[in-house]
Amino acid sequence: MGKFSFNEEAIKNLKITDTSILERLVDFEHARKWHLSKDRSRKDKRMSLKEAVAEYVSDGDIMTDGGFCYVRTSIQSYFEVIRQQKKNLQFCSSPNTNHSYMINAGCCRYSHNSYIGAEMRGIDRNYARQLKAGKVNILSEWSHGSMAQGFKAAQLGLPGVFSKQLLGSDMIKYNPYVKVMQNPMRNDPDPVVFIPAIYPDVSIIHVHAADKKGNARFFGPAVNDIAMAAATRKLIITAEEIVPESDIRYNNKGVYIPAMYVDAVVELPFGAVPGQMPGCYYWSRQWWEMAFRYAMKSDENFQHFLEYWVYSVKDQYEFIEKLGGARWIAESRRLTKAEEYDNEDIGVNFDYEEYTSGEWPEDMSKMRFY
Amino acid sequence: MGNRSDKPMNPLEMLAYILSKQINDHEVVYIGTGLPMIAGILARKTHAPNIVLVYESGGQDPMEGALPWSVGGPATWRKSPLIMEMPYSFGQLYNGYVDKAFLGFAQIDMYGNVNTHMIGKDFLKPDHRLTGSGGNNDLSSLAENMILVGLQSPQKFVPKVDFITSPGFLDGGDSRKKAGLLGNGPICVITQAAVFDFEPETKRMRVKSLHPGVSFDLCQLACGFELLKPEGEIPVTEVPSKEILEILRNEVDPRGVFTTIPGM
Repeated sequence: MGKFSFNEEAIKNLKITDTSILERLVDFEHARKWHLSKDRSRKDKRMSLKEAVAEYVSDGDIMTDGGFCYVRTSIQSYFEVIRQQKKNLQFCSSPNTNHSYMINAGCCRYSHNSYIGAEMRGIDRNYARQLKAGKVNILSEWSHGSMAQGFKAAQLGLPGVFSKQLLGSDMIKYNPYVKVMQNPMRNDPDPVVFIPAIYPDVSIIHVHAADKKGNARFFGPAVNDIAMAAATRKLIITAEEIVPESDIRYNNKGVYIPAMYVDAVVELPFGAVPGQMPGCYYWSRQWWEMAFRYAMKSDENFQHFLEYWVYSVKDQYEFIEKLGGARWIAESRRLTKAEEYDNEDIGVNFDYEEYTSGEWPEDMSKMRFY
Repeated sequence: MGNRSDKPMNPLEMLAYILSKQINDHEVVYIGTGLPMIAGILARKTHAPNIVLVYESGGQDPMEGALPWSVGGPATWRKSPLIMEMPYSFGQLYNGYVDKAFLGFAQIDMYGNVNTHMIGKDFLKPDHRLTGSGGNNDLSSLAENMILVGLQSPQKFVPKVDFITSPGFLDGGDSRKKAGLLGNGPICVITQAAVFDFEPETKRMRVKSLHPGVSFDLCQLACGFELLKPEGEIPVTEVPSKEILEILRNEVDPRGVFTTIPGM
């Protein structure tokens, strides 16, 4: 008998034959041992993105998607994971927006889902296709809130939490990790759901600033990143800028991630492009429209899309050249500041030409990726 | 988008308006992506300027600004007094700080159970895989009052949803309470044809008011299960005034992202 008592109905419904693949996500002892063995020295942890991904993202890892959909999400780092052709990753995030293209790239085979898609840009048709083709297997289904509770339980140092979410829903039948129980504090019938603490293998979190040891500062919605940073076995911090430790100590507002969690610090300006980075740049609407309306139409389209935007691009700077270079940066910064603060009265115009054709543009230089 | 001011009201604009009318001033409202965002902002610009909007990514009480494209985007935390984390913002629902929550659907049944997971019989090989829960299940499990919104057709209003993502009244009667879920469950459903509530005993969906030009029979035709009729004459849903329509078109969704229909 294994160490864990999974929800049998879900195992059966998900047709999981070997439950060992489920274990690491809830293996607290393993995570604790891992954390205990981390290098405690106050050293300079800076390295390049290539080095960090090569060293800390391993085949078969349970990886998270940081930020929210395309807000402060480490998208450029995920592209590096693709370029290094990591294999058999499990993705576990709320939301799991940047998970679909990892499947096409051959990097990801397993999902712990709470949400697939990118909100207003619509349904992720690609994920459905990969699911049907057997290229990706669902290991667990969650709601945003219940998965967030799993991360939070890990951060707070708890075996799990009792939740009122998921009750009565079919997700209970498709999540091996959760169980309906009676609330032990009550005499009257009071069903609750036990949600275990969850421990991913590797998280890449993009922040505004970090010092060279990894103390990290960001603003905007934290989503699950504070909890994930505490829970994950390996943590790569990518930062818009590296600042001196004194800057972190004197401006400690928004410093949510302590250096002790951090394995690697990567100076990565524009690390969240083509997503939005609070205060820095707006998300590229046309790019996401192209991803959803062109790439997701077929596997061939997706390969072409990845070829243009990922494989043939060395780093985020080359990516931004394709978006429109310095002009794109300036306009994108203007847009995000207008949406976040109150300088719309200087005449910032959010109009843009929506990409609707679903075809590869004849002249890419005519596209305006704002 | 061209000049929309001459055009007659379209069904999505009607939906946004009715939705906004469900919100009372000074309430705390939990908002998901899409039409609910439009409705929240419309309510704030018209009859309910003092509402507090809460978003699942952690955004709280943003200052009036551009329409959010994402529930994590800047407009959901624009100059917010503070920004929370995801589990805390759902905690606000559990702990009783949120009055109303809004939810869309891909499929809905007569007890207000909602599916946003998949269409088909086989979960592992669905005909269509949809987004999954996101925050929907959390809202439907925890909110004091749920308001459901979407387009009505026999394919969407089905006798049994293919997957219960977000529980409404489950099998009706007191089954929601027995399952341990919180709050009143869905208090109304809003579509392009009608507004529905739920009969208090059986918890079956019942017509509350019909939109102008829609008969009960027409509404029933666009529904895959038997609808209950209220007693007496069925009221007609109030339509937005010209002024409110202008606010919606010019100030809330000037780019027509959520409230235009191609060809209309």
